[in-house]
Amino acid sequence: MRKLGLILLVLGLAACSALGMTACGSGSSGKEGGTLTGSYASFPDYLDPALSYTAEGWTAMYDTYLPLLTYAHANGTDGNEIVPALAESLPKITNGDKTYTLTLRKGLEYSDGTPVKASDFKSSIERLFKLNSPGTQFYESIVGAEEFARTKSGDISGIEADDETGKITIELTRPRGTFTNELGMLFAALLPAGTPAKNLTAAPPPATGPYTIAKVEQGRAWSYVRNPAWARSNSELVSEVPDGHFDKIEISIVSNSSTQVNEIEQDETQWMQTPPPADSYPEIKDKYEGTQFRVEHPINLYFFWMNTSKAPFDDLKVRQAVNYAVDSRALERIYSGSLVAAHQILPEEMPGHEAFDLYPHSMAKAKELLAEANPSDRKITVWTNDEDVNKEAGVYYNGVLEELGFDTTLKVIKATVYFPPVIGSKKTPDLDTGWFDWYQDYPHPNDFFQPLLSGESIAPVFNTNFAQIDVPKLNEKIARLEQEQLGPEQETEYAELDREYMELAPLVPYGTNTVSTFVDSEIDLGKVIFNLTFGQDLTSFQLK
Amino acid sequence: MASEPNAESGPAGASPWGLALRRLRRNRVALAFGALLVLIVAFVLAAPLWAEQVAETGPNRGHTLEKIEVDGQQREVVDVEGRPIGPVWLGAGGKFFLGADGRLGRDEMVRLMYGGRASLFIGFSATLLTTVLATVLALLAGYYGGWVDSLISRVLDTIWAFPVLLLGIALGIALALGGLKIGPLEIPSGSIWITILIIGGVLVPYMARPLRGTVLSLREKEFVEAAVAGGAGPLRVMFGELLPNLSSTIIVFFTLGIANAMLFEAALSFLGVGVQPPDTSWGSMVGDGFELIGSSPLLTILPGTMIFLTVLSVNVFGDGLRDALDPRSKVLLEAHAGIAEPEGTPI
Repeated sequence: MRKLGLILLVLGLAACSALGMTACGSGSSGKEGGTLTGSYASFPDYLDPALSYTAEGWTAMYDTYLPLLTYAHANGTDGNEIVPALAESLPKITNGDKTYTLTLRKGLEYSDGTPVKASDFKSSIERLFKLNSPGTQFYESIVGAEEFARTKSGDISGIEADDETGKITIELTRPRGTFTNELGMLFAALLPAGTPAKNLTAAPPPATGPYTIAKVEQGRAWSYVRNPAWARSNSELVSEVPDGHFDKIEISIVSNSSTQVNEIEQDETQWMQTPPPADSYPEIKDKYEGTQFRVEHPINLYFFWMNTSKAPFDDLKVRQAVNYAVDSRALERIYSGSLVAAHQILPEEMPGHEAFDLYPHSMAKAKELLAEANPSDRKITVWTNDEDVNKEAGVYYNGVLEELGFDTTLKVIKATVYFPPVIGSKKTPDLDTGWFDWYQDYPHPNDFFQPLLSGESIAPVFNTNFAQIDVPKLNEKIARLEQEQLGPEQETEYAELDREYMELAPLVPYGTNTVSTFVDSEIDLGKVIFNLTFGQDLTSFQLK
Repeated sequence: MASEPNAESGPAGASPWGLALRRLRRNRVALAFGALLVLIVAFVLAAPLWAEQVAETGPNRGHTLEKIEVDGQQREVVDVEGRPIGPVWLGAGGKFFLGADGRLGRDEMVRLMYGGRASLFIGFSATLLTTVLATVLALLAGYYGGWVDSLISRVLDTIWAFPVLLLGIALGIALALGGLKIGPLEIPSGSIWITILIIGGVLVPYMARPLRGTVLSLREKEFVEAAVAGGAGPLRVMFGELLPNLSSTIIVFFTLGIANAMLFEAALSFLGVGVQPPDTSWGSMVGDGFELIGSSPLLTILPGTMIFLTVLSVNVFGDGLRDALDPRSKVLLEAHAGIAEPEGTPI
């Protein structure tokens, strides 16, 4: 009996200890206040929510500028959930999916003390068009938006805002199943009415989120402080966005990623936004994974495209041969283990993804198909950019095509001009085949099919349908699905679409690339949130 | 240098070329570096032989997923995390003698040999182009003088006014996309000839200006006056009288220019605007290896050492050649540097 009592005591202590540890890992313990220091390899494109269209910029402003809706501050696919931010709730969709109605939360303020008004949404969307922002493409379906884009005068008649009640009504010209996602993009973040229609990176506009950008040294550094309006009112109202643990955040630009790594290892900087250099990636992963280093899986697709509008890639057998010839396992090694091999269009974390591989690597099968096709034109130009691993991926692809018997010319173009000026322009000669990557704008499968594969996306400039594939039946399917709200039925259709396009083989998808969160020994890695759309959530960083 | 004080004196009746050869043979340091240069050239010329008979691979062929047997053990050319195999020397019968070049798993030894061919070829061809252009321009400017001289000199000054590396990079980027098309001459982008043209073009003023000075002084010599009095036309005077007297200077400039052009090519390729992938040169190998300098420093050190040795040997041999062909120039240079008083009549 005494023995049994002792066993129960030990088990009880062990259980308490385990519970305590669990609480430590995920609960509210940990230090508050202080300054978080971080480094980027390069300055973001813009620190203006209306203009930034890079992962770096979106990470920098995720916790600063809030749209009416946002994406859950959560890891993995949980972060794909759209939640209300400045709006009271998710939109009410009526009128055959063409009218979106939202209500602004009452009592919100900007960091400068200005009250947030419903009409700020309208002026913020209009500011996008005045700035010719790359984000305008997501809001062109609002009634009156195209006219406003042309004239830059008057207003967008499809947005009605009542500052008294906070009610915002958005009328669309046609149903758009992705519009809820688009309301959660940084482009739709609210800024005070009268915010100048110019790039405000040097002096970013007032914020609504937990942090506000306090100082910018363009090209060198920027810093955040807590948003006074957040503590005053917004925090209580916007419960979906966390408060953050640090009082101040200082980000500096360290262009050499090896130096960034050294600074982390020596506890001089607490976080690096950039992945470690490929050279030291395996070593850092081995040494710090689980304690200071974590592999993240943003939704993206790395692929080679083949121009289906001209020989030799106008022949299905040639495209299928290339798909068989490219070996994703080799590319995994070329990407130093940061790439996760895949051979389909929809990445794993994307709704609608169903795993399949129509073209398991077989050089013999590839040569057999090519012999059957016997293309008369074998002289092709292969395009890639000069970024570290992408260049090597291009060289690898060039080698594969040579092995298949093509007479190739490899063109390695500066990454800064690769897209859109070079491969996005139909004026560029010899756009036969090449490399590209595509990162999601939001977690919706349409964001991959529409720009990359719909015939409607073929454009003389800013062309994103690099394969120039134009199949009316599939274009119609994309257009129809775009109008429908995403649900299980649509996800199944997107999965079918994935297979249908891969049967036509306009692309050679070879995988999704990972990024990483690398922090110093003082930061609690377990608490750092990586949102699949916005990257690291600055509010989640906390000292152990 | 190890030249004798009276090395320029020789037996009566010996030709100037014979005298120069004799002086060169006495300069043992120059000869040693000349021999090193010959060895390097032989090394790179043997590239196809090594690639086919020993390494059994080409310079651009990747072996990312392959395994090789090293001293009876199977080893991956590139491991699952992208780390290339290091030097295996003769452990795999000469395959991957210096290891793999990176994540693409190409044979580093084969690429070093082929890269050297490209570097030397560009260095030689670009300098040849520079020499031809510079000589013609110098002869025209120096012989005619007047507005012809002014025009040519101002054009050369304009090119000279640009920082040479920046000019090379700018041209490299501009020609990277569409190549070069001037009338019937069409060079596709990525061609090695683009690099040759850039280097050959931007270095012209550095050779043409001193040559022009020499032509200006030669033009006043009696043998030129005699030729003109004898009815020789401008072309005959320039190419029949002045050019032979410029030859020793041109040979010296040409030799030293090769080293300069090779360094220029290395810089351009390191910066990504010289030799384009998948082709390689020692400069681009340094650039590619630099990305892996932490884990595989040899990938940078080896091509860097080859550039260093080649440029050093070309320079020292070129110096020796200059001393042999034109001993007075050495005395003059030393005089300018405050080493010795000039002897004889300066040119």
